[in-house]
Amino acid sequence: MENSTFRSQRKWNIGFILFLTLLLALLSQISIRLTLILVLGISLGFVLQKSRFCLVSALRDPILIGMTQLTRAFLLLLGISILGFALVSWGAAQRNIPLSLNVFPFGVHTVVGGLLFGIGMVLAGGCSTGILIRIGEGFAMQLVAFFGLAVGSVLGERSVKKWSSAFGEWPGIFLPDILGWVPTLILEIIALSALWQWARWWQKKQLGE
Amino acid sequence: MTRFAMDIWGEMCPIPLIKAKKKLLSMQCGDILVLETEHSCTSRGIVVWAKANRYTIEEKEVANGIWHLELTKTHE
Amino acid sequence: MKKTLQTIIHGPWAYWVGAIILGVLNILVLIVRRQPWGVTLNIEIWTEWIGANLGILNDRGFTFQGLMAASGTYLNLGLLLGAFWATLVASQVRFRPIRDKKFFFSALIGGLLMGYGARIAYGCNVGALLNGIASSSLTGWIFAVAVFLGAWLGSKLLLKYLI
Repeated sequence: MENSTFRSQRKWNIGFILFLTLLLALLSQISIRLTLILVLGISLGFVLQKSRFCLVSALRDPILIGMTQLTRAFLLLLGISILGFALVSWGAAQRNIPLSLNVFPFGVHTVVGGLLFGIGMVLAGGCSTGILIRIGEGFAMQLVAFFGLAVGSVLGERSVKKWSSAFGEWPGIFLPDILGWVPTLILEIIALSALWQWARWWQKKQLGE
Repeated sequence: MTRFAMDIWGEMCPIPLIKAKKKLLSMQCGDILVLETEHSCTSRGIVVWAKANRYTIEEKEVANGIWHLELTKTHE
Repeated sequence: MKKTLQTIIHGPWAYWVGAIILGVLNILVLIVRRQPWGVTLNIEIWTEWIGANLGILNDRGFTFQGLMAASGTYLNLGLLLGAFWATLVASQVRFRPIRDKKFFFSALIGGLLMGYGARIAYGCNVGALLNGIASSSLTGWIFAVAVFLGAWLGSKLLLKYLI
């Protein structure tokens, strides 16, 4: 255990704000769009750290410690995102603006990838987002994890074709194409609500022991 | 009323909580578990878990980015 | 009022507050970028570029200019800067070293598994899980179940080797 006195980091904070302002000003000379994206990235990082939001905790803790606080918050995030994406997608189609959503092809490798990712994120103490956040917080462990992530990603990229040719790959299933937008959204929201209710019940049950 | 200090320094989240849960089982009502961590998520996670279990928890930042926790086992 | 300001500066913010703000930001990224937020694709292409420059990987044609013009670069960079700034605003910055070598290995192995898994599934927790489901894609749900099971397996390993 270490003892340190409290030192205000305000001067560093002011310096860093100046640095960010300069960075954004410079970038805006090159591209407004990229500047906006950097602002969004900074906002995401800020909010993730401040709310101690952790996707690993959301997926790991129901089983490991019987807690579903973050699981439920993640379900809320999912719900908002589904509705928002649907709205934006519809709006873009109305205006003939090209927009791509993450409807990925799938196969055995999707399941294997998920399994490996799930195992890895628990061992590394963070998922890809969490690693970046914790590097920002000063954790050396996640710097090591980042190195692993970078190397692993290249290995993975070079393996995809082997997986898809060995076990097949099917094009992504965009649910609105099959069911229509409104039934899809209703179904998804019902599914998320059901999961939310389960999560709340699960925690009560786990803690009641 | 005994105070127990447990070293969770540097442990990856959620190991400190798992260890605290285990330690709590062997403690008596009224005993206090004292922990210190430099991880914001670990500290928050223990506070959230303690409150969900209706234990008394005190969390205080004692240095830049170091949190001191006191968890009282108020019931079995 | 002062206490609210303290909480805003020092955190922690309530999880549901984070969820709502993140949801809005996620949607804004989709609008500005015209594709959803993702993390690992950009990390992969930067690694390709570094590897090609070091002569250990086949050149796939990525250029520095190209990478610096990629929106993913700025999302990931922003994430890092934002998290650092959030810590700094609360005067909570400190270097947190690895204090047991078992965590060095779990971080390295965990990272490798994550990187590999994310790229064969075309995305990570954010790209394939959150935004796969947000895109009303069935693949997202399939990936989510797989990651959940993976987390369960990972937890077993954690309890066995890291406690």
